[in-house]
Amino acid sequence: MPDDSLQPDPDEDLVARARSGDTRAFDALILKYGEKLYGLVYNMTSHKEDTHDLLQDIFAKAYHSLPRFRGQSSFYTWIYQIAVNITLNFLKKRKRRSGMSLNELDSSVQQDPALIDSSHMANPEKQSKLHELQKRLNEAMLSLSEAHRTVVTMFDIQGIPHAEIARILNTSEGTVRSRLHYAHLHLQSKLQDYWE
Amino acid sequence: MKPNIEEIGSLLALKRHERPEEGYFDDFLREFHQRRRAEESMKRGPAGWWKQASEWVSNLGASKWAYGGGMAYVAIAAVWLLVPRGADTKPPPATNVGHDVRVPAPVVEQLDALDLRSTTQGRTGEQEF
Repeated sequence: MPDDSLQPDPDEDLVARARSGDTRAFDALILKYGEKLYGLVYNMTSHKEDTHDLLQDIFAKAYHSLPRFRGQSSFYTWIYQIAVNITLNFLKKRKRRSGMSLNELDSSVQQDPALIDSSHMANPEKQSKLHELQKRLNEAMLSLSEAHRTVVTMFDIQGIPHAEIARILNTSEGTVRSRLHYAHLHLQSKLQDYWE
Repeated sequence: MKPNIEEIGSLLALKRHERPEEGYFDDFLREFHQRRRAEESMKRGPAGWWKQASEWVSNLGASKWAYGGGMAYVAIAAVWLLVPRGADTKPPPATNVGHDVRVPAPVVEQLDALDLRSTTQGRTGEQEF
C-alpha cells in the first residue's frame, strides 16, 4: 500500500510517460489498478454492467485529467478519489431513478456467480451455507448508507488502512473509524438471525 | 446470536476473491481506446482522423508491416485498374475540315517510271536506286 508522505510515488515514471502521450504507459496503469478499482466499484454498486461503465468513466476521467495531476498525492490515491467521487455521484443518481429498486439489485447480486468464493466450491454443503450467508451480507451491505458502504468496502474488503482511506475521502481518520464502527453495528444487527 | 466484529471482517474479507472474469481487462482496454479515439476525433474534426489513423498504425507493432504491404498491394491494384492502358485508347473522333482534300496520284505510276533493271556494278541481289 503506497504511503504518500514517506515514499516517492512508485507510478511516477508510468504517469510521466502517460502524460507525454504514451498510451501503453496508461494501459499499464489500468492493468495495475483495474482489479482493485473494479472491486471497489462492484462492492459499492452491486451491479456488473454499472461497474463496467463506471470503470470506463473513471479511467477516461483520469486520462483527460492527467495533465492537471500535480503529484501532490500518489497516483493510487488520486485515481481512488476519482473512482469514489464518480461512483458516489452515480449512486445518488441511481437512488433518484424510479426504475431501479433495491429488490432488483438484491436479486442481481444473489445470482451473481462472482459472489461465490471459489475456495469453497469443493464442499457443496459448506458452499451452500456460505452462499446463503453472503447473500445476507450483500443485502446488509446494500442497506448501508453510501458513505458507510464506501468505508466498509475499502477497509474490510480491500484492506486499505484508515489513514489512506482518510486521504482518499479527504476526511479525518476519526471520521473513517466512526463510520466503520456504525457500519459494523448495522451489519451485526442485520446478520444476527443467520449467524450460528 | 450476533457475529462479532472480527467475524464480520472475515466474512467481508471473502469478497476480496471476487474478480472480473478472465480476459476482462483485454476487452476493457480495447473498448477504452475505441471510446478515447472516438472522443478525440469528434473534438478535432477531420484533422483528427489522420492523427487517429497514424496512432492506430503506430500501436500495431510488428503487424503494421503486413498491413502496410496489404495497403501497397491494394494501391497498386487500384492504379492498374483505373489508369487507361495503350490498347484501350481510342483516336479522337473525325471532324469535318471544311475544304477539299486532294488525293495524291497513285504510287504505281511512279514505280513504273523507275528503272529496276540490274546494273553491272552491283552484286547479285543488290540494287541501286
